Amino acid sequence: MSTRDLVLSALFAAIIVALGILPPITLGFIPVPITAQSLGVMMAGVVLGAQRGTVAVLIVLVLVAIGLPVLSGGRGGLAAFAAPTTGFLIGWVFAAFTTGYISERLVKHGQAAGMQLTGFFFAAMMGGIVVLYAFGIVYLAFAAQIGLKAAFTGSMAFIPGDVIKAFVAALVGRAVMAGYPLLPVKS
Amino acid sequence: MQSLYVEGNSRLHLISARVKLIVLAVLGIALFATANIALLGFAVVATGAVYFGIGMPVRAALARLKPILLTILIVAVFSLAFNPWHGAVVALLRLTALMLFAASVTATTTIAAFMDEITLAARPLERLGLVRADDVGLAVGLVVRFVPEIIGRYHAIAEAHHARGLKVRPATVLVPLIILTLKDADNIAAAIDARGIRRHVN
Repeated sequence: MSTRDLVLSALFAAIIVALGILPPITLGFIPVPITAQSLGVMMAGVVLGAQRGTVAVLIVLVLVAIGLPVLSGGRGGLAAFAAPTTGFLIGWVFAAFTTGYISERLVKHGQAAGMQLTGFFFAAMMGGIVVLYAFGIVYLAFAAQIGLKAAFTGSMAFIPGDVIKAFVAALVGRAVMAGYPLLPVKS
Repeated sequence: MQSLYVEGNSRLHLISARVKLIVLAVLGIALFATANIALLGFAVVATGAVYFGIGMPVRAALARLKPILLTILIVAVFSLAFNPWHGAVVALLRLTALMLFAASVTATTTIAAFMDEITLAARPLERLGLVRADDVGLAVGLVVRFVPEIIGRYHAIAEAHHARGLKVRPATVLVPLIILTLKDADNIAAAIDARGIRRHVN
């Protein structure tokens, strides 16, 4: 990894941390708080691509593990990995990777704005929802012993919020690509 | 950014970070290997004694556990609605014990000690050419350095919105925030390389 790539990843990790300092929004009565941080994970994928986006998220998880309260609501430390919702935290890594991987292949520089937006939105939905929830739900079912069906039902309440976040991530991805393109586009 | 480390000289402070992490891993496996409520209850009492024996004021000790404890409780209540009570109680005790010990390790281990362990763990990966172990510390330092700057930048952008009578919307704030922040990458990278911090540049 070049120094520039490492710095880009670290700066994006800092953006994800900063997003957690803004107050979290809790939707409904089910425990996973809706935070701007999962938006940050999707944005890491659409802005930086698969490799650098994944590294950015890994840096955030290292910060959590060494005891810095960098997750929304001032959570942090190893205890953050002992929650029933830890699967969503681990899933961030794979969410950023998937979002970046799909973005690199779907979105091209010369495309119409609408096409780019659609490509980014699809990538963010696949990474930030399909892949992320697969990890989150399986871990929740296992760690909390509630069974896949209950874990799935409980997590559904957060899908609408995350669809909105995927859309915001797509808007941001497209605007950043127009203003300061960083995404490594694969043909 | 204030670390969750707590100054002190309890017995747990004196144990090396590596031993604590290994015990935590073993405890995690052991807790998931048993479904005996009495045994898990004992684990909660024991880990609770460890956690509250570190020497933090009780209120501060509880405050830092609150968000995670709340999640565990809500999921347990949710579980009761779908499953027999035994499973819900087992999960509640198991995760609470794990959380208490994990929080104890975090409260008694300095960032430097954690970084040493991470660097050590990254060495084998370094030999495979996957990461450079020293980069982990560099990246952590960069984040801690730039978070306050990004927050300041966010407020400046929000203020610029207000000055122009615009509503602060996620997309209109995040785009300038990201572009302004990432544009610094070239200069920061040049500064790092100029100082030879990563020694061999590729």
